[in-house]
Amino acid sequence: MDDKYPIISILGIRFNLANCLSVLVSAILVFALVFFLSRKIMLKPTKRQNILEWIIDFTNGIVKSAMPGEEGKQFYLFAFVMFMFVFISNQLGLMLQVKVQGVSWLKSPTANPIITMSLAMIVLVIAHYFSVERLGFGNYMKSYIKPVGFFLPINIIEQFTNFLTLSLRLYGNIFAGEVLLSLLVKMAFSHGPATMLVTAPIQMVWQGFSVFIGAIQAYVFVTLSMVYISEKVEMAD
Amino acid sequence: MFSNLIVGASEAYLGDSLFVLVVFIILVALVGKFAFGPVSKMMQDRSDKITNDLDNAAQSREDAAKLAAQRATELKNSKSEAVEIVNTAKQNGEKQREGMVTLAQEEVQTLKQNAKKDIEQSRLDALNSARDDVAQLSIEIASKLIKKELSVTDQKSLINSYIEGLDKQNEIR
Repeated sequence: MDDKYPIISILGIRFNLANCLSVLVSAILVFALVFFLSRKIMLKPTKRQNILEWIIDFTNGIVKSAMPGEEGKQFYLFAFVMFMFVFISNQLGLMLQVKVQGVSWLKSPTANPIITMSLAMIVLVIAHYFSVERLGFGNYMKSYIKPVGFFLPINIIEQFTNFLTLSLRLYGNIFAGEVLLSLLVKMAFSHGPATMLVTAPIQMVWQGFSVFIGAIQAYVFVTLSMVYISEKVEMAD
Repeated sequence: MFSNLIVGASEAYLGDSLFVLVVFIILVALVGKFAFGPVSKMMQDRSDKITNDLDNAAQSREDAAKLAAQRATELKNSKSEAVEIVNTAKQNGEKQREGMVTLAQEEVQTLKQNAKKDIEQSRLDALNSARDDVAQLSIEIASKLIKKELSVTDQKSLINSYIEGLDKQNEIR
């Protein structure tokens, strides 16, 4: 897309303000939602607590399916926050897109490859860190020449492909959704009320589908994250 | 700050990555402290409580079954005991009744015998005194009438025959 973005440079590091603002808004929304749901925690759960516990059970289930043992427990919180953050990020652009004089200020943060790559990088750093912590550095290095020595280049390349597929799958899905949404908006305003009437139902259908895609992609992202982490953390026999 | 503002096409910027990293770490910390930690702890507590309750329930049920069995045997025992008590009481009552009846019978017997004896005695006494009186009288009468002295033994035999005659007359009457 030919969108323009506000960029600032601090200490030689350049920041895309639209991305930063979107990430910040998503994070605040996630925290506000979770904080709202977790008031008055009781042994017999109330309605809000039930919702939160259902989500936590869901993400715990994702972690357990990849790491059924005791080692999975330390990733419960990470999986929960990652799921909530990606999910809310995916939905943010569907509800709210701010453009001032052609400059984007707010949209889905996950519709930008740099954000999804950052998230994927967090996942991979965690995977490698816990691999070294759990297996020791020697075993960690040995895991690159398993099952046999000439798998070394494949294993190394696999780390990059993991990174790219994890980040670009999410980016592609959300970005495509937003592109189509903005195209539909342009179409709606192209020929007056007639096109608006025609486009409105299509827009609604596509927004609904995007909500669905956003949820699925959040689930897929967390599931694959946990699979990659478990591959690194668990001893390959 | 906004003097640095450049408006350009979308590119990959390092600052964004750093910003995402920082925000994500803060978010993990806050969510863990305010929501995930307490809720997870509560979920763990709940599962522990349910496990404990289930164990306790099994234990209680066992205890209850034991108590019920104990009560049943005790009840059976008490029934047989009660029957025994009633039987003993019946026997005792029977014995007592028999004893009292025998005692009463004996008493009645004794009383009867005493009464008979008394009657016999008084009859004999009355007869004897009557004999003596009659003997004396008849002696006096006879001595007055016939002025003839009779020996006492003769008179007695005479009187006895007479009284026997009276007795017979009495019986006939």
